[in-house]
Amino acid sequence: MRLARAQRDGTALGVVRVALGFLLLSQALVSARELGTLGYFGDVFHMPFIPEAWVASGKLYAVIIAARLIASVLVVIGHRGRPALFVSGALLLYVLLCDRLQFHHNRYSLALFAMLMSLAPCDRSFSLVSPEGPTPEAARVAPFWSVYLTQIQIAIIYVASGGSKLLDPDWRGGLVLADRFHRFGAMAMERGVPAFVMEFLGRPDVSSGLSKLAITTELLLAIGLFSKRTRAFALWWGVMFHFTIEITAKVEIYTWLMLTMYGTFVTPDVRARRLMYDPTRWKGRTFGKAVKALDWFARFEVKAWEPDDLKKSRSFVVIRRDGTRATGVRAFAMVARTIPLLFPLWAPLALVASFTKGGETSAGS
Amino acid sequence: MAVAVIDLTSPGSARAWARIAFSAAFVVVQATLVITAGSRPEAAFGFRMFSESSTISYSLSREVRSGPAADDVVVVPVPDGEWSAKDSQGVLRHVSWRDRVKRPELGAFDVTFHASYSARAQLSRLTAALDDVAAHTPDDRETVRLLLDVTIRHNGREPEVVHLQSARRP
Repeated sequence: MRLARAQRDGTALGVVRVALGFLLLSQALVSARELGTLGYFGDVFHMPFIPEAWVASGKLYAVIIAARLIASVLVVIGHRGRPALFVSGALLLYVLLCDRLQFHHNRYSLALFAMLMSLAPCDRSFSLVSPEGPTPEAARVAPFWSVYLTQIQIAIIYVASGGSKLLDPDWRGGLVLADRFHRFGAMAMERGVPAFVMEFLGRPDVSSGLSKLAITTELLLAIGLFSKRTRAFALWWGVMFHFTIEITAKVEIYTWLMLTMYGTFVTPDVRARRLMYDPTRWKGRTFGKAVKALDWFARFEVKAWEPDDLKKSRSFVVIRRDGTRATGVRAFAMVARTIPLLFPLWAPLALVASFTKGGETSAGS
Repeated sequence: MAVAVIDLTSPGSARAWARIAFSAAFVVVQATLVITAGSRPEAAFGFRMFSESSTISYSLSREVRSGPAADDVVVVPVPDGEWSAKDSQGVLRHVSWRDRVKRPELGAFDVTFHASYSARAQLSRLTAALDDVAAHTPDDRETVRLLLDVTIRHNGREPEVVHLQSARRP
């Protein structure tokens, strides 16, 4: 009941909406291209999930694709973004039901996420058509239940994927992964993976170990994402997991979809941390500007300071939610933890920071 | 008659219960789809990512009448899914598998490739495609049945061959 009534700040969800819009647009373009090259699917061999009478006619299908294109653009620009998300997702799902030859898990997941996020306050930021200036807090806060439901859907995907692999002896034993490494090795090497790495991964003992690691990863992600203590590491591990999949297999938009949906796990607050930088130093100015530009989840209040005794030897200082301050590599780790494009660097930076003695100051110092 | 509208986006007890009911129903539907995914050839709606590493290749051939009896047939290979056959007027017609089957993965004959979404999914689709082509080539009055020899390597194991045949054409 508490979660059903919960109201939270939806600012961070704007990024999720925009990214979903681009993914929906890319899928609508794929459908449009296929209509142009292959023609209307209903005129030739197709396999509907639904009764044939419910399958869209050729003209209706063209209208549906046009509607998906328009709706996905509306999602991106944030004009009636939530209805557009629902329309875009529902039409994509309908198309998949009309022809199972077009079915892909990632497309189905995209349709589900689009419809679920249409119920969330994801239209409070990143809108090209809303009035200029910051949205007042009262307008940013809204029911958050559908975000929690979206998070559950993410967990369902990981449990289903990891669970099915766990129950399959070929997967569990490493046979599937070893064969994949052998057959997709050339593609991975084209994408920059060294040959000796692919050879190593294809060894039976290595692929067996990696299979168990992949299964464990998926199952633990379904749990780890929900605990405050483990969330940041689970997100980082998940990013590494999906990047590995992306460079070793063809998965359409699956990687980018899952990374997009990780945005629903961002703590729903706005500028709860502060980044102070020294405007007299080039490094401080550059860092301040970069964080301001890349802080898509609105984690930081970025401000220039008048240098004092503590700060005069620093280019920038991060002040956490609890008021404690971090400088140097600890501040870098803090920023990497919250900036999407730098997030892959967070765990290594945090590890390095854990071995350093400096960089930690109390609020009062 | 009054129409009750449940607003799912604003606070209140009834709305909260509506949200809980919606969420519970959603999760139950998803769980059911995941659990029953095995009953669908491609495990649709089951999120079984990268379930197999099987490969598949297939060759098309057709049974053609060779005599007056019903079982007087010979099997003729169909290279690259293209063949010629006489229509009811005795005119030679060109027939192509790809006139009906547009998906590239279902029209790549004698080529070995990854069996996307499992070998079972591809077999199911090829079986349906075979029947579809057999039912939609009215100009071909010679072919009795279409045949597909499908070679599958299940997760890198030794290859096995599955013989598919379309329904008998009138």
